[in-house]
Amino acid sequence: MTDDVMRFFAAWMLTHEAADEGLKAAVLRGDEGGPEGMGGGPDAFVDGLAAMVAEEKEKLKRDLEARARGEEVSIETQPDPALEDLRFEVGELRGRLDNIESLLETLVRKSGS
Amino acid sequence: MASRRLTIVGTVARHLIGALPAAGFGLAPGTVRRTAFARAWRRSFEDLGPAFIKLGQLISVRPDEFSDELVAEMQSMQDAVPALPAAAIRAVIRSEFGREPEELWASFDDAPVASASIAQVHRATLAQPYKPVWGVELPAGTTLAIKVVRPGAAESIRADIAIARSLMERVARMRISRRFDPIALLDEFALTVDRELDLRMEGRFADRFTFDFRDDPKVVAPRTVWPTTTARVLAMEFMTGWRLSEIETAKAHGVDCYALAVHGATAFMRQVFVYGRYHADLHPANLFVTPDNTIAYLDFGIVGFLTDEERMNITQVMAALVYRDPDRALKYSAKLGVDVPADRVEVVRTALGGLLDGTYRPDGTRDFAHFGLGFLKLLGENDIKIPSGYGLLIKSLATVEGVARALYPEIDIVETAKPFTTRILGQAMGDPARLYERIPAAIRAAMREIVA
Repeated sequence: MTDDVMRFFAAWMLTHEAADEGLKAAVLRGDEGGPEGMGGGPDAFVDGLAAMVAEEKEKLKRDLEARARGEEVSIETQPDPALEDLRFEVGELRGRLDNIESLLETLVRKSGS
Repeated sequence: MASRRLTIVGTVARHLIGALPAAGFGLAPGTVRRTAFARAWRRSFEDLGPAFIKLGQLISVRPDEFSDELVAEMQSMQDAVPALPAAAIRAVIRSEFGREPEELWASFDDAPVASASIAQVHRATLAQPYKPVWGVELPAGTTLAIKVVRPGAAESIRADIAIARSLMERVARMRISRRFDPIALLDEFALTVDRELDLRMEGRFADRFTFDFRDDPKVVAPRTVWPTTTARVLAMEFMTGWRLSEIETAKAHGVDCYALAVHGATAFMRQVFVYGRYHADLHPANLFVTPDNTIAYLDFGIVGFLTDEERMNITQVMAALVYRDPDRALKYSAKLGVDVPADRVEVVRTALGGLLDGTYRPDGTRDFAHFGLGFLKLLGENDIKIPSGYGLLIKSLATVEGVARALYPEIDIVETAKPFTTRILGQAMGDPARLYERIPAAIRAAMREIVA
């Protein structure tokens, strides 16, 4: 029983190790290929994608380290997209109200003449 | 109505009869004959006015439905008509607002800036500061473009659509079209024209475009001045620069064509793959460029929309183009509504493989138009119905490629799409529902490798 459990965890660890080595190799190949390399077929695409994810991971790491030091991180300096959307919706609503008000004025003017 | 029908029939007959000598009285080789008759149709449409000019523009984006010759002729159709006198335009403005143009704006120029089949554009200046939907306030004195629907245009177009149904049947009988559903085409046409006739739709889309590109100062669209806009009058910022049809002048003023081509194509990909809404009437006259390499998109009369699912499927079709994978192209085209009958799959797959293999130009760049338009044609030849939105997008991408290559011949438009498609495919890979579906199989495969 104990052997089975150990074997299971060994297989689990081996899977992780193999996946990690595979990923590192893919990132390396993706870095070497650069953006041009991604057109070389499905494998080259996956390598390129892995390199892009690794780049993003490094950025995330830097941000987390900066946050731990109490510094402002890049992600927080960008405007909140939801807030921006809301601002646009309000602007659009204002535009529609401007439009309706103008239409109303026209109707009043026409009915008065 | 009867007299208009007679005019239509008479105009078409006159041009077709006039084309007979060029067509060798029907005995000339196929291409020569079709070109002569296609030219006659184009001239007829130009003579018959707004509805037919718009119909011609719709035909020009349907290579799946019509012959190459007719599509090419309709693409060259000029939507420039003699300007109406200012008095007629002023009358429309008066009827919309109950006021004279000078009461609405600080100044109004009677000389038109442009005149097309549906609308005419005049220059004016803003009387009071206005805060548009997005961006900085427009100060008083800002130059505006006032687009006014030509009087009677809406009525005549709608009346002509009714008459055009009988004409469509004639088109089908003359075998100009390979496979043709006149009623479906007319429904699509009526919808497009209805949207174009309500200028508020254009204003809203232009504002939305400005918002979408708020982080890119090099891509702009005219913002709408809503208090002086109605369904028939659109007041918007006046864009200055050169149309892409005047690119030689722009080059002489130091415009960087390479940057412009790449940025313009990227901006279009962003519309398609990020926002799922795109300017579907792009041609050199609808794009402006300024000396500081800013691109201004004009005339949002025809707009394409994609759902999230459609964006994903389009992305997969693009990936198929990159990997030359006909099965992937067919699989995701089917999800976009391209229903290939089982007995045709093999024929279409083989022909598609040929198209994908022939996508590369001698300089190593990819020719999207070769693939996209060839694919539409292939489906048309095999009597496979193409959803209009799919056809519109492929045609728009081919047009963007054409415009970009006119600026910079070595550009590879598929390259500009790649960062967007990569990101979308990457996001899809992280989708929990997909992970839930795929992870068991992935683990099984990994275990098989380990124990092999």
